[in-house]
Amino acid sequence: MKFIVGGAFQGKLDYAAKEYKVNKCDIIKGEELTENMNVEGKCLTEYHLFIKKMLLENKDPLSITEQIIEKNPNIIIMNEIGSGIIPMEKQDRIWREQVGRVGCYLAENAQTMERVICGIAVKLKG
Amino acid sequence: MMILVTGGSKSGKSKTAEDIICNSDQKRIYIATMQPYGDEGQKAIKRHREMRKEKGFETIEQYTDIENADIPEESAVLLECIGNLCANEIFSNGISDPTEKIMRGIKYLQNRSSLLVVVTSEVSSDGIEYSESTMKYMKILCEINRRIALQSDEVIETVFGRIISHKDFLMGSK
Repeated sequence: MKFIVGGAFQGKLDYAAKEYKVNKCDIIKGEELTENMNVEGKCLTEYHLFIKKMLLENKDPLSITEQIIEKNPNIIIMNEIGSGIIPMEKQDRIWREQVGRVGCYLAENAQTMERVICGIAVKLKG
Repeated sequence: MMILVTGGSKSGKSKTAEDIICNSDQKRIYIATMQPYGDEGQKAIKRHREMRKEKGFETIEQYTDIENADIPEESAVLLECIGNLCANEIFSNGISDPTEKIMRGIKYLQNRSSLLVVVTSEVSSDGIEYSESTMKYMKILCEINRRIALQSDEVIETVFGRIISHKDFLMGSK
């Protein structure tokens, strides 16, 4: 699994599409992704929104991510959202924390990891 | 030697900092600046304590005035974190701009220790316009971060547990 991270609107998906020749039909957005979907070979984007969705459904994002990884997705793209002031709302704080924890897990289990800034990818692993 | 570790919330800063300290043979001192507020604060503190338990750290709770921290000479000191310390000095201690005070504290810790690892927090990259007092806090914290970075031998940024070296002192970034 290739893990691509970065701030919002940095060109992560465009980079993935070009670099790894991702077909449009293989892209699954976080809000559309469900835990039982067949994700083999797919490009999962906006994964931070999938985490938010799982929390709203009272599910544990980390254990669901473990199951998703086992199905061998090709690419996972996720925003970095932790570099701000501590959110006022508890739900937002939990989301921010879970994105951090799941991100560390994905980084650990990825074959390669890149961070995209202004459209430029910086390799952090592999 | 001084090393600054920065990054977003839950990006692996603490673990990275602890690993650096644990590579040294000196006495390990942990200066905790986080005041335990409510359930979540207690939980975060408990989690960090667990992480340090087996690593032989002696913990000193110092929410403000780090220049008064009683640390043995030539120890390896982990100061965590400037984001909390700065907020405590401003909002609990009532100091409107603690930049110089905190920098004096850092200087003191640098002189007492053989290795100082400072953890700070990246708080100004969410593009949100906060209240005047919060914006002022962010500006002061970023100023302190820049000052510490300038004096540090190494500046490390963590991204989901991975490391980017910004001074290439300890390791290459690639």
